[in-house]
Amino acid sequence: MIIGGIRVQLEARLTSSRWLVVIVPVFSVLFALVVGGVFLLITGHPPIRTYLDLLDNGYTSFYGITDTLGLATPLICTGLAAAFAFRMNLYNIGQEGQLYLGMVGGAWAGIALAPHLNQFIAVPVVLITGALFGAVWVLVPALLRARMGTSEIVSTLLLNYVALNLINYFIYGSRGFFRDPSTPFPQGRLIGESARFDSFGTTNTYPTLIISITLAAFLFWFVRRSNYGYETSVFADSPQTARYAGMNSAWLTTSVLLVSGALAGLGGAMYVVGPAGKVDPGLLQTGLGYAGIVVAALARYNFVAVIITAVLFAGLRVGGSALQASSDPVPIAIAVVLQGAVLLFALGGEIFRRNKFVVTRVVQTAKVSA
Amino acid sequence: MNSNVWLLTFADAISIATTLILASLGAMITERSGVINLGVEGYLLMGAVTAFVVGDSTGHLWLALGSALIVGAAMALIHATLTVTLRANQIVSGLAMVIFGTGLSQFIGKPIEGKSRPVIIEKIDFGVLSDLPIIGPVIFGHDPITYATWLFALVVSLYLHRTRPGLILRATGDAPATVDAQGVSVKRIRYVHTVIGGALIGLGGGWYMFARAAAWNQSATTNGIGWIALALVVFASWRPLRAIAGAVLFGFCLQVPFTLQGQQINILPSEIVSMFPYLMTLVVLVALSTPRARRLLGAPKMLGQPFVRDER
Amino acid sequence: MNASSEATQGSHRENGVTPSALSAQNVTKRFPGVIANQHVNFDVARGEVHTLLGENGAGKSTLASILSGLYRPDEGSVLRNGKEVRLSSPRSGLSHGIAMVHQHFRLVDRFTVSENVVLGSKGLSFVLQPKDIEAKVSEVSEKFGLPLDPRAVVGELSAGQRQRVEIVKALYHGAEVLLLDEPTALLAPPEVVKLFETVRAMTSVGKSVVFVSHKLGEVVDISDRITVMRDGKVTGSVKRGEADASRLAELMVGREITLAPRRGTSDSGNVLLSVSQVHLSHDQSQNRPNQPSVLSDINLRVRSGEILGIAGVSGNGQRDLAEVISGLRQPSQGAVTVCGIPTVGLGARATRQAGLAYVPEDRLGTGLAPSLSMVDNLLLTRDRGFLVDRKSAFIEAEGFIEKLEIKTPGPLTPTRKLSGGNAQKVLLARELFSTDASRVLVVCSPTRGLDVGAVEAVHALLDDARKNGKAILLISEDLDEVMTLADRVLVLYRGSIVLEAKGVADDFEKVGRAMAGLAP
Repeated sequence: MIIGGIRVQLEARLTSSRWLVVIVPVFSVLFALVVGGVFLLITGHPPIRTYLDLLDNGYTSFYGITDTLGLATPLICTGLAAAFAFRMNLYNIGQEGQLYLGMVGGAWAGIALAPHLNQFIAVPVVLITGALFGAVWVLVPALLRARMGTSEIVSTLLLNYVALNLINYFIYGSRGFFRDPSTPFPQGRLIGESARFDSFGTTNTYPTLIISITLAAFLFWFVRRSNYGYETSVFADSPQTARYAGMNSAWLTTSVLLVSGALAGLGGAMYVVGPAGKVDPGLLQTGLGYAGIVVAALARYNFVAVIITAVLFAGLRVGGSALQASSDPVPIAIAVVLQGAVLLFALGGEIFRRNKFVVTRVVQTAKVSA
Repeated sequence: MNSNVWLLTFADAISIATTLILASLGAMITERSGVINLGVEGYLLMGAVTAFVVGDSTGHLWLALGSALIVGAAMALIHATLTVTLRANQIVSGLAMVIFGTGLSQFIGKPIEGKSRPVIIEKIDFGVLSDLPIIGPVIFGHDPITYATWLFALVVSLYLHRTRPGLILRATGDAPATVDAQGVSVKRIRYVHTVIGGALIGLGGGWYMFARAAAWNQSATTNGIGWIALALVVFASWRPLRAIAGAVLFGFCLQVPFTLQGQQINILPSEIVSMFPYLMTLVVLVALSTPRARRLLGAPKMLGQPFVRDER
Repeated sequence: MNASSEATQGSHRENGVTPSALSAQNVTKRFPGVIANQHVNFDVARGEVHTLLGENGAGKSTLASILSGLYRPDEGSVLRNGKEVRLSSPRSGLSHGIAMVHQHFRLVDRFTVSENVVLGSKGLSFVLQPKDIEAKVSEVSEKFGLPLDPRAVVGELSAGQRQRVEIVKALYHGAEVLLLDEPTALLAPPEVVKLFETVRAMTSVGKSVVFVSHKLGEVVDISDRITVMRDGKVTGSVKRGEADASRLAELMVGREITLAPRRGTSDSGNVLLSVSQVHLSHDQSQNRPNQPSVLSDINLRVRSGEILGIAGVSGNGQRDLAEVISGLRQPSQGAVTVCGIPTVGLGARATRQAGLAYVPEDRLGTGLAPSLSMVDNLLLTRDRGFLVDRKSAFIEAEGFIEKLEIKTPGPLTPTRKLSGGNAQKVLLARELFSTDASRVLVVCSPTRGLDVGAVEAVHALLDDARKNGKAILLISEDLDEVMTLADRVLVLYRGSIVLEAKGVADDFEKVGRAMAGLAP
């Protein structure tokens, strides 16, 4: 691009600048707040006041931050799920459905198995069953991708709608296993007490948060140090090189997607072990699966950074709910608007991290006499 | 169950196909230039809510549809800026547009939730023709936008295969470097077609609001048909006229659950029946992934690849 | 320096009579970290063939790109018929009658010949008229003796035919000056002869041709003038009849070079690699028409301390052969034995364990993962266990950097930031030294795109490996390379071995004919 004798060019950075890794997300959030502010203004809500309320309700008050951490618990899982797949250029966007299936699997184990088990075994059984269900939900897209190259993007997404209908069927459309038989009111059957965690004190934060954070740290280490992590890095960078080195790309593709599904499923099971205790259609309203994608993208698929972005986004959501319930109700969708806007700005900002702008004066010398 | 019911289902399928055709035409034009647009669902929702709000406050149908079109174009402009100029990952940008569009449409749509449609699109009265058996409801029972959509598909098909800019568009999706070497700006081609595509998708959302949806019902309004439209692009192998046939087929599957419900046929619970369109779409995608199908399909070769002129 | 000033003075004298069709005056072009062209002067007259000769990286492609409008010079100017023109794009170059045919064709595979030719033409009507277009395309192609079916789909044409499409395209768009960038790279010798005929047909009607090449031998015949570049500067210029191969070679590399072949001494080693009766049929997913099988009845043996060369024009099954031997693809029938172990069906890892190392043609992207560091790339072919041991790989990397003089900021720098030669050294180091067991090396086009220094380093490494008793299969499209390095040469044509020759210069013509599928 040349403007008035000055050429602006993008030049690839040879070294990635460390401070830009932080600056880009921070500015993305700031710009997103400005965009959200515009929409708040248009709809007649004072932006500054609204944001301060959001901050208070989501982060700075005691119950605000504990609610946020509670919501962040499954969100970290869906964020890890997205990050694990996306960093290998496998776009599993079915976290929403896998999360629901994790809830179903967790509830199944909690109802069927937990009454026979003590807490030390029951909780892990519920969590693992949930993870397995999540993995199973992505099994078909994973095999299709690995064997036939069917795009996992649309296939995983379509299954979200199938999962949504499945939950509705369990609770509203049938009087089966997952529905509470003791009441005509459509709600889920409670799982065994032994499979439930108590929250910390009077807060809505559950011990599963520790599991989420540990998992993030473990994945961070595992991907960097293990052979499996190494192979996924090679495959992500260059599938041809992976093939050349004799790696089994079908296995890598399938297993990465299954692990991704399992992580999202684990999030659903944590919801069962923690606040819900049953198959709860309320989960369908939270959009934690889709938010996981945003969380992962903003964290640039770094597993530890996922913890931070998940807490940030959970706070938006928690603060947003409080705003909706306040005397001047602001639709909770403002939280989703902000999420989308943050991601859009972060994407736009990537170019600054990867490239630098080089401005040069275009010199035309040597007028030649023919 | 009489045959008349299935005839009406078919007529409905043709009607619902309108949004699918508009959305997949939009996505197709965009993808032909080499840009993937996964944001369709978000565009449809934004188109729908915009049309509703504008229709509600002005009572003017065409103004409402026009603003849906503009909103779609505006979202596409953001997508194009991110992916063409700033070279962001097209897939993630598309997803971001879904999330952004879903959130913003719910935010804007909060006050109108549950309100009934301010205006509806009247069907064209063909007089005697509309009363003909079978072809009456199937061919002559629709609104002007539906007919316009069929015309659009034809126009886009002719544009792609019979015109000079169409030739360049197809080349841009396949070999942007070649187009660049001919002195045509790849960026401009991509911007223009992404924005036109977005406008069509937005229009599809606006039309859906007035012709199909009873009321604004948050994200359940479009219920994933944006994703079905994306599968339809593959199904139609990036050819506009095939999209019409595909859209009617997909539309039929979307319509069957309602027909069964209306007829009180309860072989399967409605929630299970509602899964069918998505499952069928999945099956179609799988069928299209066989090596043979892949060869015949011919996706634009450089789909999803940002173009950077090779200046070392 | 002396040669340079001579050359420019020469061209100025000619300018006194009629201005050159196209010339570059004092052109400088910088890329990040390199000066690609430094005060370069160059010109071509009407009806002249002027060759730009130089090694890879000498700056000749950059100069051609500037002359055609793809790049803009940082300093200096471009003159068309003596008047300064500002070329902002290839399009504006074309509007001045200048067109470039790139080494990598810029064609749309799915389009027909005529669609490709007219693409981007301003003269087209909004609604296309296929019949008119085809007629016009045929007219142009026949006029210059370039037979082409305007309705053929370009993706199904051979390299030579595609090049014709490119040339017809340039002529259709009204090109008066054609810049041909490495036009013979993908052609078999007889196709080169045909190309030269076309070039003469063009110059006879007053068109100018700039021939960009690094192949010393072939340019002497076709050129009216030859200008040599090295390190971004013009080092000399000679006219037809004055061209002397050894003088040109000296100008190219800046010192005298010996074209003496390297040969192994012993031929009594054990057979370490043997391929017998290997057939490979068509891969279903690839669409290559008119080719019943990819490889048919391949038999070869490579002994310890020997380099067996496989010559052939690109796309005749070289890559497939390498992949079959390295275990990446399974042959339909036949056997491959590495160090006495039959490897068909074992897969790439087990084949490697049997003692095979493989340097693929595509260094960055297949042999090396571009975004990963040298350390991680050294790990690629190791037995890694559950946890990856980067420490020992780091030490190994440092050793290689010192031993092979690899220029890199450090072992943790992504390999894509290395130059081609240094990346190739990393790859060769891993394949030659990192895996102790490997006694067989399959190496494909190891010096493609490398500068002279790197080529020599790579050849020396291969020669050392031979002396150390490795069995080397050298698959290369560069006939000179095969002829100088290999002890024996096989020619691969359409998936079959059509000729076996001793690797001596006398066989050059025989091998060349075999490469083109002509009977010996």
